[in-house]
Amino acid sequence: MATASPNILVVEDDRETRALIARYLRTNACSVATASDGNEMYRAMADRRVDLVILDVMLPGEDGLSLCRKLRAESEVPIIMLTARGEDVDRILGLEMGADDYLAKPFNPRELLARIGAVLRRQASALNASAMGGASAMTFQGWRIDLRLRELRNPEGARVAMTSAEFDLLRTFCERPGRVLSRDSLLDLTQGRNAGSFERSIDVLVSRIRRKIESDPGQATIIKTVRSGGYMFTPVVEPA
Amino acid sequence: MMKFPGLLNLRGVSGQIAALVVVSILALHLIVTTIFWLHRRDAPDPRVDYGHGQFMTAVELLGAAAPADRPRLMADIARTFPQLDIRALPADADATAAEPDTHIFYGLRHHLGRGYRIFSPAGGRTGSVGVILPDGAKLSARLLPGRGPRPFWGGPWMATLLFAAISLTLLGLWAARALTAPLSSFARAAETFSLNGTSAPLPERGPEEIRSVARALNRMRGRITGLIDDRTRMLAAISHDLRTPITRLRLRSEFIEDETHRRHMLRDLDQMRSMLEAVLSFLRNDRRLEQVTLIDIATTLQLIADQFIDMGHKVGYDGPPHAMVLARPDDLHRAITNLVENAVRFGAEAIIRLRVSPQTAIIEVEDDGPGISDARKDTMLEPFVRGDDARTMDESAGFGLGLSITRAIVDAHGGTLSLNDRQPHGLIARIELPAGAQRQAA
Repeated sequence: MATASPNILVVEDDRETRALIARYLRTNACSVATASDGNEMYRAMADRRVDLVILDVMLPGEDGLSLCRKLRAESEVPIIMLTARGEDVDRILGLEMGADDYLAKPFNPRELLARIGAVLRRQASALNASAMGGASAMTFQGWRIDLRLRELRNPEGARVAMTSAEFDLLRTFCERPGRVLSRDSLLDLTQGRNAGSFERSIDVLVSRIRRKIESDPGQATIIKTVRSGGYMFTPVVEPA
Repeated sequence: MMKFPGLLNLRGVSGQIAALVVVSILALHLIVTTIFWLHRRDAPDPRVDYGHGQFMTAVELLGAAAPADRPRLMADIARTFPQLDIRALPADADATAAEPDTHIFYGLRHHLGRGYRIFSPAGGRTGSVGVILPDGAKLSARLLPGRGPRPFWGGPWMATLLFAAISLTLLGLWAARALTAPLSSFARAAETFSLNGTSAPLPERGPEEIRSVARALNRMRGRITGLIDDRTRMLAAISHDLRTPITRLRLRSEFIEDETHRRHMLRDLDQMRSMLEAVLSFLRNDRRLEQVTLIDIATTLQLIADQFIDMGHKVGYDGPPHAMVLARPDDLHRAITNLVENAVRFGAEAIIRLRVSPQTAIIEVEDDGPGISDARKDTMLEPFVRGDDARTMDESAGFGLGLSITRAIVDAHGGTLSLNDRQPHGLIARIELPAGAQRQAA
């Protein structure tokens, strides 16, 4: 975890689910507050510092989407939405709502933990005033990586399919162009050390990304291997 | 409101046909009468025309004149109508030649009446005719070439008949079209009737009978759509509500200490989750919202292969490294994932192939399992049909929605899904996406 013990607010109307999420996160070194609807959420946020909000879409009274939009308008606190599958994911992640990530119910709790870690690390690295901080999209050599919609488009404008882990790794590269990044630091920046075994090794992810973006994956020019060092992202990256 | 008897009811088919016949007969009569009046008033005898008329007038003048006046009169006529070339013949000229019997001569004779005789002067010039006046004087004249007999089909009666035939045919065609167009549109509407509520209701127009059929069909459509909507809502509600307990169970399972129990529970929960997802995506298929966008289909296929490899299956990708296609990315991902799920369930190994041509993009998912018999290939595409009906619900069985979801998604892309045999055994599921949805990588 990027933060020692992040303060997480779980907004979920089902009492048992809320309690279970809270209990699961507490056993994984998070400090958790809970709320069952929008009013309780605002009260909880007034009471204490909140590092991240887990927000259910289906809430009594004001629904999660509208709460998300309001939160986004007044603060930078990261938001992970819990949705029923089939909700318009583009809307949840898009500029309109501005959630940082989402999970479809029923979700794998370890996946939730991994996403929390990833979102907090992203937040931290953005606050560290990286050149790309705040940009919602970046371009390199005609490629466009959209951080909000979490999609990569090639120079022809075609969407390239990526897993969440591949996307996070490419994003990490894009935010640190021209720097040698060791496998360990890449692991820290993307998955966190306590990520589950379902995550692939950095080398596998890099080879899969290369296959998608390099014109000749055998002679990589975009993500170069640095002998005994790790990897370096060579293109010039610009905020878009 | 007064109810007309069948034939008089203009809103019915029979009434409309009767009205049509009456109107067309009236129209025909009107037109024929008009033409008759325009055509026949002051019309000369068609058999005697042009120069013949002048000729007869001249002959009658000469016949009525006193013999002494004739030379002067003839000179006057010759001056007035030089083209007739009228001249007196000597009294002893040979008039015995058989009277010619052409229709012109017949017409002349008929017109001039008794007392006049027509003959063909011996050795006369072509086109000349001889006339013996009532007092025996003979003269000859040149007949201008008159119009020949009207051809058989040129007669006014024939024109009328032709006109009648053509207009009746056109009217008949129009009437048949007007009456049957609503019926054809019924047939089309029934063929394309889909339960997603997007097709427009049948137009309620045309004759009364057809309108009532349209109304009945529309009501039936409404009831069917209502039933389907109820079913959809019920399934969606059940699936939705099941999410909450499954989410709770999924969280609870994290606190189970016995690793074996935990693993089994997670497996069952994963199965429930994938069945829920299958039902929901099946229900959602009719109401797709996902946008069509340009995607690199090759990376989608590589991604799917990678995901199955990560789960411990042997899945390979064989195809170009990049290929651009217009598609709905998440749907297509779901469609192909379903095929690969089947492939690894029934076979040890699966290969995803991609062939791109200017006309089509062909995606094949190939396995080395037992395959599907030809007899069952079609039913396999139906919802809720499983590969092996006797199979008990083991860890890998789903609802049997995978292939029907895939087919619905492929259909929505305007493509086709087919199941083919692989040699020596196994199955090849082939998706063909049409040219419109495909763009060759640069």
